[in-house]
Parts: sequence; structure tokens; C-alpha cells
Amino acid sequence: MTSAEAGGSGRWGGERIGELIFAAGILALGVYAFVGAFLIRTPAGAQVGPRVFPYLVSVILLGAGIALVVDVVRGRLGAKEEGEDIDPNATTDWWTMARLAALLVAVIFLLEPLGWWLSAAVLFGGAAWSLGAKRPWLGFVIGLILGIATQLLFGEVLGLFLPRGLAFDWWYGPGPLFG
Amino acid sequence: MDNIASLLEGFATAFQPEYLLFAFLGVLIGTAVGVLPGIGPAMTVALLLPLTLSLPPTAAIVMFAGIYYGGMYGGSTTSILLNTPGESASVITAIEGNKMAKLGRGAAALATAAIGSFVAGTIATALLTLFAPLIADFAVTLTPADFVALIVVAFITVGALLGSSVSRGLASLGIGLFVGLIGTETTTGQARYTMGMLALSDGISVVLVAVGLFAVGEAFYVAARLRHGPIPIIPVSGSWRTSMSREDWRRSWKPWLRGTVIGFPIGTIPAGGADVATFLSYAAEKKLSKNKKQFGRGAIEGVAGPESANNAAAAGVLVPLLTLGLPTTATAAIILTAFQSYGIQPGPLLFQNQGDLVWALIASLYIGNLLLIVLNLPLVGVWVKLLQIPRPYLYAGIIAFATLGAYAVSFSTLDILILLVVGALGYVMRRFGYPIAPLIVGLILGPMGEQQLRKALQLSQGNMVDLVLHPFAATCYAVLIVLVTVGLWLKRRQSRFERAMEASLAATTSPATAIDRMWDEGERPTDVKTETIRAEQAARAAAAARSGDPGAADGPGGRGDRPG
Repeated sequence: MTSAEAGGSGRWGGERIGELIFAAGILALGVYAFVGAFLIRTPAGAQVGPRVFPYLVSVILLGAGIALVVDVVRGRLGAKEEGEDIDPNATTDWWTMARLAALLVAVIFLLEPLGWWLSAAVLFGGAAWSLGAKRPWLGFVIGLILGIATQLLFGEVLGLFLPRGLAFDWWYGPGPLFG
Repeated sequence: MDNIASLLEGFATAFQPEYLLFAFLGVLIGTAVGVLPGIGPAMTVALLLPLTLSLPPTAAIVMFAGIYYGGMYGGSTTSILLNTPGESASVITAIEGNKMAKLGRGAAALATAAIGSFVAGTIATALLTLFAPLIADFAVTLTPADFVALIVVAFITVGALLGSSVSRGLASLGIGLFVGLIGTETTTGQARYTMGMLALSDGISVVLVAVGLFAVGEAFYVAARLRHGPIPIIPVSGSWRTSMSREDWRRSWKPWLRGTVIGFPIGTIPAGGADVATFLSYAAEKKLSKNKKQFGRGAIEGVAGPESANNAAAAGVLVPLLTLGLPTTATAAIILTAFQSYGIQPGPLLFQNQGDLVWALIASLYIGNLLLIVLNLPLVGVWVKLLQIPRPYLYAGIIAFATLGAYAVSFSTLDILILLVVGALGYVMRRFGYPIAPLIVGLILGPMGEQQLRKALQLSQGNMVDLVLHPFAATCYAVLIVLVTVGLWLKRRQSRFERAMEASLAATTSPATAIDRMWDEGERPTDVKTETIRAEQAARAAAAARSGDPGAADGPGGRGDRPG
């Protein structure tokens, strides 16, 4: 992006440091892929062992990583992706992102004891609240309706294995109606 | 002809009431999800993939055809009514279509987009019917070395031509290839890059990566910088039947056909997908139009051409996917995964081994296209309502469905953790301008490429030169050089166009003035004000009314003719 290039060259803002870290991460991944390729055993007598392709991949990663680190150091930064609901002037809202991530982690632990329908209510309601819904309780109500609807449609009708939760584990229901 | 008989059989399958219902559901859900702002076709397909997983293969394929076309279609409504393109393929539609909407001609813009998509989709599907079996017959004769060449072509073009810079595209491709390496190595059965974790020995599911990158990554990215406040949607007045005047039809039909001609071949080659096609179509329309001055302030050709090019490219993408098993866009890559999860391997033998299924798929593409137009013209009001969903609920829904989809892959909560990690990666990639599509394509084509490479080298006794010397492979590499050269040139033109827009955006902070700056002196949209156009139209309508020919008038002031 022209504006980023113009503003970014010379100065080292948080943006540029972040991008350098990511570019260095790609380089590190290349090193890891290269070193890891040595750990793959090659069977005797094979024309082309299982190492060849990993070597190629690490070459791509190393090459791109070096080029990117050089780019960032020289001040050529990437263009942020634009979108319909993105405010180009806003600063990064870490707090909202942390809440969303925490919700996903919570679902990992809640899914089996609560069942999908209740977890969906927690996830949907929590996410809507984190993102600034005007009436947070409405998010939980919608989430519950959505959770029950998907549980019935996918879990009961289409036969997808969605946990019903400890409270309903005893009930096996009529089984899948389809497929 | 044999193919026609097969196609008729396909129609016989697809016309069964059960499958018609699935096609209808697919189109309906695909459009509904595709219309939602912030959701492009790739995310639509990724989010809805779990929905089809529990269905029998034919029903799933029929529904998927509907979802694919519906998702491709949905985006135009968002661009026209919201003026904020979610993906580069709809930038043009957002420019012209939104200007039309502001002039009170939103219904006409939506109608020309819908009818154009139908025309282009149908013609392009017919071309697919014609060419795919021929290419499949030819593809059976290809050797592993030829496939290596094709995959290299796909890697280089997708990696180098997508996104803002070559190194970013290749980095994204490399990450995808690396994720594809994780898991058990096929010939020797040993674990690679699993860090000793048993759960990783099956590799990381493509569905998980796609949903994580597209849905969760996007939700995080939006959450970080959410645009608060009311959503500026332009109300649509009038029904589609009265909105397209005879003049509109006259000005639309050629762009529809030209868009198809431009879009289909570009879709079939791995050269960056539909956005290049829409850009080329717009440039062609602007060059050929007699109403050059209208471009940039609501020329109907500028909606009709690019929208049909977009849909024709969508059908074109299916040609290499079905005949060679090569996905050339992220959406196609996800469709390939869908096929694989139903136990179907797209590729040269697909038409021989699973002919019934492929022909049912092609037949349902025709049906889906027809359903789309039947469904979309009268239902515009419903889609407009979907655009008004408050953003917190919209993204909460995306996260909830992404979680459901991730869990449904293998019913393990560990997958939700992987989803979160991939989502974080998607966020960072968006933030720093890395394209997402090469990652998905690399992830899917990587293992395929490795397999073919090893087969090829075994056949040639390890002789690398043989890889390049096969006649077909040699042609591929020659074409690759041309593709990259032309592609980079096209990209330069496109980025010059975008930079001009961006520079003026930065200078003026108003999109309207920014668009003005892209035009020459005297050709600028602001040289003729909206009011002037309205006044002109009113004058013309009055003149027409006096001379007793209402058909000459167009626009909000005139009474348009019904289509014949």
C-alpha cells in the first residue's frame, strides 16, 4: 500500500515490528522444516526418498522469509486487508479479540458437559456481547435458539454426532431420521 | 452424442424431487450466506461444507452445486447496496452498481447482475459440459511428470499472482505446503513434523484450516477494528420487472456475452481467478461503450459485464477441478476437499469412474442457475433485510458455525483448539497483507504434488531432466512463463488502477471524490452532477411523453418497458 510505504519507511512503529516478527517467523518455519527433513528416515534403495519434498518446501519458506525480512527492513510493508465492516482508522482492539479467543477456549471445555446447544448459546451470546451488541441478553436468547435448532437439525435429524450434554446423555432419542 | 445422453441421465437424476429439494436448499442457503457482508464465496463454501457432510454423496454434490453458484451470486447484492466490496472480484460492481443504486436505479443494477449471472452461468456451464469430457479424455493420457508440471504451474501462478507481492504469495504457499507435510508420510508410514503428538499423525484437516482462516480469521480481524454505528444501506424501490427499461436491456446483453467470453477461459487457467476477469471485462466495456462518460457514475454496462465475467469464471474453475483434480482458487480447493470427503477423487478418471455423479453435478449446475434467477429477482427485499443484521450478531453467528464445522470434522474438541490457532494465523495474515488463497491451494496440492513427483522420478529412474522433457510438461512450463509474464503485467495494471484510487482516497478521504480522480478531465463523474442527470432524464421523459414514446425514457423519471 502506498500510504503504508510512505509512512512506514524510516520509522519503526509497532506495525513494522509486528510484521518483522511474522516475516522472521516464516524464516524460522523454513529452518524448522529444513532441520526436520533430516529427521525423516529414508528407506534403502528408494529412488526418491520422503525427504525430497520437505526440502523443496523449506527452500520456498526460506526464500520467501528472507525476501520478506529484507522488505520489512527496507520499509516496504504489506497492505492491510480491507473489508466491509472494518473501520480503516480504528486501532487494534486487543480486548475484544482476547474475549473472543477466551470464549473459544471455554467452549473446548464446555462442549461435552453442557452439550452443543448450551455451548452454542454461551459462544454466540458471549461473542455478540464482546462485539458490542446493544442488548447482551438478546444474544444469549438468539444463541440458545440457534443452538437448539442446529442440535435438532444436525444432531438429531441428520445424524451428526453433537454432544447433548450431561443432562441429556441418558436419552438416545429416535436416532437419525436421514442418512 | 454420448455426452448428451450422459447429460440427460444427469438431468434425470437431478430432477428427482428429493434432489431438486437439495438443489433448492443449496441455492437458498448459499445465497443467504453469500449475501451476508464480509463473507466471500470461499467462506460460504467452507462454512456450509459441514452441512453436506452427513448427506449421501449425490444429495451432497447436488446441494454443493447450489451453494457454490448461490455463494458466487450473493456477493453482488452486497456490493451494490453497501458499496463496500468484500473481495477484489466485486470492487467493480461496488463502484458502478452502488452509483446506480444512489441514482435510484438499484433495482435495475440488481436485475442486470442477476440476469447477467444467469446468462453467463448457463453459457459457461454449457461450455463446461462441452469441454470437460474432452479434457478428461486427454488427461487420462498424462504421465506423472505432466501432472508435476501442472501442479508447478498452479503453485507458481497462484503463489506469485495472488496478493500484493510475489514474496508474500510464496510465503503463504509455503505455509500451506508445510501444513500439508504434517502427518504420516504415505510410502514409509513414518510421522513427519508431528512433534510427537499422536493427534497430528493424521495431518491437519483442510476443512479445519479453511474454516479457521476464512471464518475465524475474518471474525478476529473484524473484531479488532469493527466499524460501529449504523450501516449505510440504500433502499431498493420498484420491482425487477419494471426496473429494467428497454434501454437497459439493449445496453446489457452485449456486456453479458462479452463478460462470459472473458470470464470462462480466465476461470479455467490458474491465473488469479475471477478478480482478473472482472477487471478485464470492465476495461473492455469502458473501451467499447458509447456512454464512456457514464462510467464511474453508474453505467449499467459496468455492472453487467464484470458480474457475468465473475460467474462465467466460477464455472470455468470447475474445468481443471473436475478433469485434472487441480483447484485454481481457494473456493475450488475447498470444493475439492468436499469431493474427497464424499470419497470422490476429482481427476482424469472421474468421468469414467463416477460418471453418474459428475453428470448429476453438471445437470444440477444448470438447475441451480435457473433456481437462482427465479429465487433472486423476486426475493431482493429479503436479501436486503439480511444486510441489516447487526454486526455483533453476524460475527457471533460466523464464529458459532465455524466451531460447529470444526467439531463436525472428527468430533474432537482438539480441533476447536486448532481452529483457534489457525484463526489467529488468518488474522495476522490479513493484518500484514498476506493472501490467504495460496495457503489453501498449497495445502491441498502439496501432498498430491509430492505423490506425483515421486512417481515421476521413479519412472525416470531419478532423472530430473525427464520431468521437463515430456512434450506436455515442456508445453506447461512454456505456458507458465507466458502466464506469469502476462499475469504480472495485468497485476501491475490492476494495482495502478487501485493505487490511483487509494492515493486519491488518502488525499480526499471521500470515496466519491476518489473515484472522480481516476477519470480524465471532462470525463469525470463530478463534471455531471447527479442532479444534472436526473434533470436530463426528466427532460427526456417529458420530451418522450410529448412525442408519445415512453420507451425512450429510462431511469427513475421514466416509465421503463417490461422485458419482452
